[in-house]
Amino acid sequence: MIEFQNVSAAYEVETPAVRNASLTIADGEFVAFVGSNGAGKSTMMRLANNLLAPTEGCVLVDGVPTSELRASQLARHVGFLFQNPDRQICCDTVREELEFAFRVQGRLDARAAKLVDETIERFGFDPDAEPYLLNRGTRQLLALASVIVGEPTTLILDEPTTGLDYLECCEVMDVVSGLNQRGATVLMVCHDMELIADYAKRLVVMTAGEIIADGPTFDILRDVDVCERGNLEPPHVVAISQRLAAEDSGLAGTPLARANTLDQMLEAIDGARQTGKGNLR
Amino acid sequence: MRGFLEYVPGSSLLHRMNPVTKLACSLLAIFACFLANSLVFLAAVLVVDYVLAARCKLLPQTLGLSKAVASFSLMLAIIALLTTPEGTPIVGLPWGYIGTGSLRAMALVVLRLLACAIPLFLTFYVTKVNDISNALVKVCHVPYRYAFVFTSTVRFIPVFMNDMEGIMEAQTARGVEFDGGLIKRLRLMAPLCVPLLVSSVRKTNSAAIAAEVRGFSLRTRESGHKRYPFAPLDAITFAACVALLVAGVVL
Repeated sequence: MIEFQNVSAAYEVETPAVRNASLTIADGEFVAFVGSNGAGKSTMMRLANNLLAPTEGCVLVDGVPTSELRASQLARHVGFLFQNPDRQICCDTVREELEFAFRVQGRLDARAAKLVDETIERFGFDPDAEPYLLNRGTRQLLALASVIVGEPTTLILDEPTTGLDYLECCEVMDVVSGLNQRGATVLMVCHDMELIADYAKRLVVMTAGEIIADGPTFDILRDVDVCERGNLEPPHVVAISQRLAAEDSGLAGTPLARANTLDQMLEAIDGARQTGKGNLR
Repeated sequence: MRGFLEYVPGSSLLHRMNPVTKLACSLLAIFACFLANSLVFLAAVLVVDYVLAARCKLLPQTLGLSKAVASFSLMLAIIALLTTPEGTPIVGLPWGYIGTGSLRAMALVVLRLLACAIPLFLTFYVTKVNDISNALVKVCHVPYRYAFVFTSTVRFIPVFMNDMEGIMEAQTARGVEFDGGLIKRLRLMAPLCVPLLVSSVRKTNSAAIAAEVRGFSLRTRESGHKRYPFAPLDAITFAACVALLVAGVVL
């Protein structure tokens, strides 16, 4: 569990990046942080991992203030994937890269070697390949693998799909989603609303360092006021269903007006046709 | 160290001077400090440096940099202390002794480095890098290619520092603890030079391509529209710095 208790933080004294943020993230949640650039999303991620100390308030990981934990202790519980894998990768081979965290945390033993072997097999890496010669998507996957190989209970992702093509993006998100289904808590900063709608269960909207909305993903995405204040563009299915309901009063309140996924929308269209509601033919 | 060697806008005397004069004067000051062997002279130059920094409202930045230079010069000062057996002996060493002259040599190293580093730092703080480069091309007839290399090097310093900060942050998130002694920190930072190098090469390559597609090779001395005329103030300051150099040689 991660708790933000009245947290404020700043990179420069006069300009706070996060203001009085309070939030509790339970184990196993998949939370996405959204908002414009400079809204304070990445700062929240840094606070969760004690890469940045709060100027006010407190951040707790499993009940322990992050300020009381050393970097190596925190890294065992909280894995952090950065937007740019090249800031993370620093070893000569893929195997060394995967072993790196175990080595610096003093945990490189037989179990760690087994986990590394399993990860290599699962991702299909060449263990002797030079990381810097891999393509951008594979480097991002390697960076993700080197974070999750240590089995952290919480995974923080700061714009993990930037610069990736659609398939690479799906590959990264499928790995993250799998971890979440096995119980890992995921905190993700992302600008891709389609991706967020597909994976995140809870949405935190930030503007100018403040949390302006926090709740189930589609409740937030359907709130026009919040979307406007947070500069959010709802996913296409949500936008289409809202537009249909707005333009055809017969559809208001029907499942079609509440459809969040393509499957829900197709099902609702069939239902509307059968019941004769609205002007759908 | 954010903002290291980055231009700070202002309207002080130094801000208004010709970029070539500022660069030439800081070079003259550097030569004067290296040629001078007098503690009083170096201390006086240092005081003038700080007064100039205060006049430009750059005292906090200058003091911050002085701290960094002093830490670096301390290592050289210790070497000077242990390898300059001069004056009245104070402590015996297996290879010589530490004397009053050794202490003087130590102080000279620290003062000399501080006094000569600050004018160069100030030049960069009060002059836009583009102005330095353009003035070198226009006034000194330096080929633009070389002036660009010089200014790019300076401009990339904060970028690389920012990159290094990001890399250290990423490694901290993986459990690397950058605390402890200097040796431990250096040992931990050594592998981080690889990502920094990779990022530098990629950035340099991108910058070179971007410059080429924007007509870098077509640029000549006449391409810049800005003029850099010399004012009486430039002549006076230059003369003062020549006098400083002469004083440095004599003292």
